[in-house]
Amino acid sequence: MFLHYIDLGWRSLRRTPLVSFLMVLAIALGIGITMTSLSVYHMMSMDPIEHKSSRLFHPQLQTMDDGEETWSEDNLPYQLTYQDAKNLAEAPFPQYKAAMLRTGFTVHLDNAEIRPFIQNTRVTHSDFFTLFDLSFIYGSAWTQEQADAASPVAVISEELNQKLFSGENSVGRQIYLDDTSFRIVGVIAPWETHMKFYDVNNGAFNSQESIYIPFSLIAAMDINTWGNSNGWKFENIRSMKDKRQSEIFWLQFWVQLEDEAAVSQYGDFLMSYMAEQQTFGRFNREQLDYGLRDVNAWLDYRNVVSEDNEVLVALSFMFLAVCLANILGLLLAKFMRRAPEVGVRRALGASKRQVFLQHIIEVSMLGLIGGLMGIGIAQLGLWGVRLTQEYYSPLATMDLRMLLSAPVIAISACVIAGLYPAWLVCRTTPATYLKTQ
Amino acid sequence: MLIMKNVSKVYQTEMVQTHALRDFDLEVKEGEFIAVTGPSGSGKTTFLNIAGMLEPYTSGQYMLDDVNVGGLSDNQRADLRNQKIGFIFQGFNLIPDLNLYENVEVPLRYRGIKAAERKKRIESCLEQVGLGSRAKHLPQQLSGGQQQRVAIARALAGEPRFLLADEPTGNLDSLMARQVMELLEQINRDGATIVMVTHDPELARRAPRNIQIVDGQVADLTLYQGVAGQTDRQVVGG
Repeated sequence: MFLHYIDLGWRSLRRTPLVSFLMVLAIALGIGITMTSLSVYHMMSMDPIEHKSSRLFHPQLQTMDDGEETWSEDNLPYQLTYQDAKNLAEAPFPQYKAAMLRTGFTVHLDNAEIRPFIQNTRVTHSDFFTLFDLSFIYGSAWTQEQADAASPVAVISEELNQKLFSGENSVGRQIYLDDTSFRIVGVIAPWETHMKFYDVNNGAFNSQESIYIPFSLIAAMDINTWGNSNGWKFENIRSMKDKRQSEIFWLQFWVQLEDEAAVSQYGDFLMSYMAEQQTFGRFNREQLDYGLRDVNAWLDYRNVVSEDNEVLVALSFMFLAVCLANILGLLLAKFMRRAPEVGVRRALGASKRQVFLQHIIEVSMLGLIGGLMGIGIAQLGLWGVRLTQEYYSPLATMDLRMLLSAPVIAISACVIAGLYPAWLVCRTTPATYLKTQ
Repeated sequence: MLIMKNVSKVYQTEMVQTHALRDFDLEVKEGEFIAVTGPSGSGKTTFLNIAGMLEPYTSGQYMLDDVNVGGLSDNQRADLRNQKIGFIFQGFNLIPDLNLYENVEVPLRYRGIKAAERKKRIESCLEQVGLGSRAKHLPQQLSGGQQQRVAIARALAGEPRFLLADEPTGNLDSLMARQVMELLEQINRDGATIVMVTHDPELARRAPRNIQIVDGQVADLTLYQGVAGQTDRQVVGG
């Protein structure tokens, strides 16, 4: 009977091509607009490292003296000072941890064909690659010996390797970062994440860095950050050394903690670390405080998905509702015109339930066709976003979940719009329409 | 087969109450062929609609094959209608988008009959009404008489024991009307019980039993003795 209803639905749509087209167009437009905003929102709010987001934590330390304030919701600084980041990174616990900051260099080769260009660079510990499950196409991360010796070594992305070395194994080759020659020790595979979740300062949706160099080079090369530096008291900073010894917040820090016990243990460790630092005249506060959030909690805390995006999604759903209201009107007119036929069907033995089902399947077909067309419109919308909003480019795409959601949302929406007309037509008394035939 | 006792039907509007049937009593026995006559607005079609469970009655009792129709749900009435009753309407009421085969198939689908059995019955019924070669035609490609024959084939396909016909020849010329009547007589001889509403005295005379409805009631036969066209027939109610 289901296939028969589909056949009847198809005939009905063909019988009134203009009305059918208008309804499909309305649902396609509604779904197109909704899926455009929903896809961007979905990509924004998607877990960027689903398989281990609950095991990666960003610690925060309340370094500020009593009475000092910052603009975070819990008054904890978002970033760490250099000395805290360095100390925590050198602590024996936990096994995997990495401090980091974003900087940049002019990249060039001993090759006249490649013009120098500026490239974002991440200065970090070698655990960075383990923490975020980055795999190597060639080579590996730098060794502890190289890090300890502040050797000028670098890991580059596959994209940069393609650009500089045509994708060949470049391990052992040299590149210049500003005027310093770096030896390439590894090339990482493309990083399949849409978000720079490990450093959401200056835009969480910017692309990842293409060059990674050891953390020890910050001191060795006096590297400064290209990201945010936030101070909370007057300090006379005259050199990078001063900055490294200051209470300015300018580094990010991530640790991997396997279970709740490890989280609790690390919390205790942070408290004892701060207590120890108090003996050096730091952390001048009565109540020590820290933060320890996993990836998703961190992204919520940092408001990576802004309320604007949520408002946009809500508005697009309202537009879909307006489209549905139009469809409801058209369906009412169409179904009630068909009441005499329904009367005949009821006289011939169709139950109300069967008549209702027949009409619901017809509106589901409308939804399916509208949903498929809506995907096309959404693709156009996303293309427009990519074209005009470069920052959102990585997000302006529909993943499989969104592609499958589009027809499901369209069908559900059409079924909701069709419930009343279908109910109305199925409860008509057949005799009324048989007389008027 | 059909027993109606004190059945009333009142149409209520804001201003007036209209009694379409009042204290209507009738018994139809298995295998009967009854012609129902009466002036326009007397309640003939209302009686037929109630008999076919197409509309509810206001009060009284209606038993169809020992089943109290008043106690049935909508779905149960639809099932009973589908299993036992065939309809033939004055306006044919064929579905214009469906070809003849598909039109005849409609009640069989609702009954859940399998495709092979449906095909056998449809072809047989269309043959019976002389339209076997036109199964793929659409209703609008046929004459009025042919369309009514399709409607009869549709009613027959469900092998109903009870056939309700509302002015089956009302839209047909006299030749077509005679052919349709002959078909109905044949169906009755084959065992179906038929109740036919008609305005045509000639057709009514061909039915073995006549009843007349006046003002929503089965008329007292003594009042109609001598009415033109009915003097030589037995006019009975109840």
